[in-house]
Amino acid sequence: MKQILIGAAFAAGFAVPGVAQEVTLGRFFGACEDAGTDTKASVGEACIIQSIINAASAGIDGVTVETLPTDWGNYYDQIKAAYAGGTPPDVHVMHRHRVPEFAGLGALAELSDDLAAAGIDPDDWAPAARDAVSFDGGIYGVPMDFHANLWHVNMDLMAEAGLVEDGKPVLPSSPEELLKHAQMVKEATGQDYLAADFAQFPIGVRLVLALMWQQGANIFDGDTATINDAAALNAVTAITQLFDADLADPQLNYADSQQAFLNGEAAVLVNGTWVVDLYDAEAAKAETGLNDYYAADFPTLFDQGATWADSHMWAIPASLKANDPETFGAALKVLAFINDHNIDWARTGHMAVRTSVLESADYAALPHRDEYATTASIARDTPPSERYGAIQDVLNRELQAIWLTDKPVETALADAEAEVQDLLDR
Amino acid sequence: MARDRIAGRRRLTQKQAAALLLLPFFAVYAMFLVYPFLRGIWISLHDWNLLAVAFNPDAKEFIGFENYQRVMWGQNIEWSAWASPALQVVGLAGAGLAAFLRRTDRMSRATAIALGLASVLLFVLPGFHPGEGGRWYDRRFWPTVGNTLVFVGLTVPGVTLTALVIAAAINRETRAMAVLRTLFFLSQVLSVTVVTLIWQIMFSPRQGLIANITEVFGGTPIVWLTDQQFAMAAIVITTIWWSLGIAMILFLAGLQDISADLYEAGALDNATGVRAFRHITLPNLKRTITLVIVLQIILHFQVFGQSHLMTQGGPNDTTQVLVRYIYQTGFRDSELGRASAMAVFLFVIMSGFSVLQFVVGREDDR
Repeated sequence: MKQILIGAAFAAGFAVPGVAQEVTLGRFFGACEDAGTDTKASVGEACIIQSIINAASAGIDGVTVETLPTDWGNYYDQIKAAYAGGTPPDVHVMHRHRVPEFAGLGALAELSDDLAAAGIDPDDWAPAARDAVSFDGGIYGVPMDFHANLWHVNMDLMAEAGLVEDGKPVLPSSPEELLKHAQMVKEATGQDYLAADFAQFPIGVRLVLALMWQQGANIFDGDTATINDAAALNAVTAITQLFDADLADPQLNYADSQQAFLNGEAAVLVNGTWVVDLYDAEAAKAETGLNDYYAADFPTLFDQGATWADSHMWAIPASLKANDPETFGAALKVLAFINDHNIDWARTGHMAVRTSVLESADYAALPHRDEYATTASIARDTPPSERYGAIQDVLNRELQAIWLTDKPVETALADAEAEVQDLLDR
Repeated sequence: MARDRIAGRRRLTQKQAAALLLLPFFAVYAMFLVYPFLRGIWISLHDWNLLAVAFNPDAKEFIGFENYQRVMWGQNIEWSAWASPALQVVGLAGAGLAAFLRRTDRMSRATAIALGLASVLLFVLPGFHPGEGGRWYDRRFWPTVGNTLVFVGLTVPGVTLTALVIAAAINRETRAMAVLRTLFFLSQVLSVTVVTLIWQIMFSPRQGLIANITEVFGGTPIVWLTDQQFAMAAIVITTIWWSLGIAMILFLAGLQDISADLYEAGALDNATGVRAFRHITLPNLKRTITLVIVLQIILHFQVFGQSHLMTQGGPNDTTQVLVRYIYQTGFRDSELGRASAMAVFLFVIMSGFSVLQFVVGREDDR
């Protein structure tokens, strides 16, 4: 009976022409004013995602999509407040790492039985992508990408320092070599070897985490924090040796470190896959100091390959599925549209999640794609936790204390361990 | 005839009329201020997860004052007179000064009590510290309170002095001064997002005005927002620039209240310029100055946007302030009970200053 009613409701919805079902959408990635509807022409994360959303709004019959204004830095606070107030957006983007928190509370709609009817084939998702949206045996979203830290390389500076072989950058394979390469770049070019946001957003944390995973270590295991050990010390000192020798600047934030790289003031920038197309476009411009750009896999400085990674995914609130089948149906169509445009989103530099896209010629032809082909196989993240955000914040503060305020490494690691333990115990 | 008819109607007594007219205000006040405030206290007595309770109202648990204990107290906390010598000595000195000034009758009783109380608190509170093997349950809370106090301690005198000097300088009825008044007030109408954006660009070591000037003179630009020594200063400078306007307008109003006769009389006694300012302007502005200071204190204890948008509380928590910590605890960590406990603490501090203003204000009315 219920199905019939829902079906009738749907039919009624479609029978009335001109009355479009409005779907509200929450996302980060930043603002793009004139994204248009051409999903092949836009550049940069913000404009590419907005062009896909605009195209969905224009292209799906009977559905319009309204993108809500949100701020990237406070995105999850806004989303949580919206859920707590009972007015979450009909569809919203989120990270894999937030699934335990949101799905664990029953905030997200379970979609296993709805995907096929909406034209989404979960079997086409790469296994890791399916993992990303799964929780307790259910599927709680539609994955959109894998993203990971890369080493963005200025090939001209590397060539000057003699660090290019066969058209590829020569990257270090140990902390000692890292220091040696950095000195070679400084001597040959006078520029810093490595830049990254060590001062505000947790790019520095992700760097240290990767170096810990490369030694088979992690920041916590079950309910026990494991930060204050030799692996963390090795990871941190691999970085601080560069600061101490004046071969990298810890005080640059995200915008400044990116600017330093684009100005040709750093040979390597550690940042995510999300800027590959942007840097490619910048390198093509004559006025930037970056002319020959290469996107390299995060190098292995210790025993095994590892780089920080996460996934973007789209979810629908459980309340929408339970109370408003019409809008829920429209929201699913939007997710299907985004899923269909996985190749367009991959233009950002992110890795696609659909096997059919990953194996396509279009995907392989994306700029620099072959340069970081190994990244997918070394992608890692911290163990799932409801307190992911707070734990990242602790690490960010203590690591900043090391490189910005000269706090002794041992003290900082001990403090970080105590505080993460507090969070795990709560 | 008409008058008789009105007189014949049942009249409200003055009290009834007052009650009737006040009713709308009280209704709104109770609904939007008193009730949320009491509810905040109620929430602070619970283990209350923002999202969990939204989905299941029974997911909260009454835990009494545990949130307060978890935030403010620790394991093995001890008190000693020399845990934080610098602050405690200042506290002792303040208490002594209050007693001395009161005894020699150079300070009124209420002011002496206020100063004495603040000094005693300054002596007692920093004395608490974790003993052997002990630790604070929340390592960030008291440093955050300290940062907030530093911020208020730098911003309030900064705003007050700058606004006073500017007001005295442009307190003339010429067109140029009217333009300047508008210019100085203009920053006040901007929202915190705009203000912090402007100053983030100003402070940027790559494109900022300050860095460019430094480089012209051959210096290395300061990385204001991520340098431990300059981050708080950067936020304070931004705030002074932003909140100058209201203080300046209040001072201008106060200055225009001072009778010109006083200055004329002063001029006859050879008091002009700085001397006139010191002996005529300042004493007559005393009430305005008190008002500005107390308003600023209450306002700046609630600082949030500058720290949140410019430094994200960093580097290493040096610009983490109380309201930002409350926000993070409540929204990022979903721990609404704990966040409410901190908010109640902030309320107690701010109401302390409100009482102080009340006391000082009454004294002047004597």
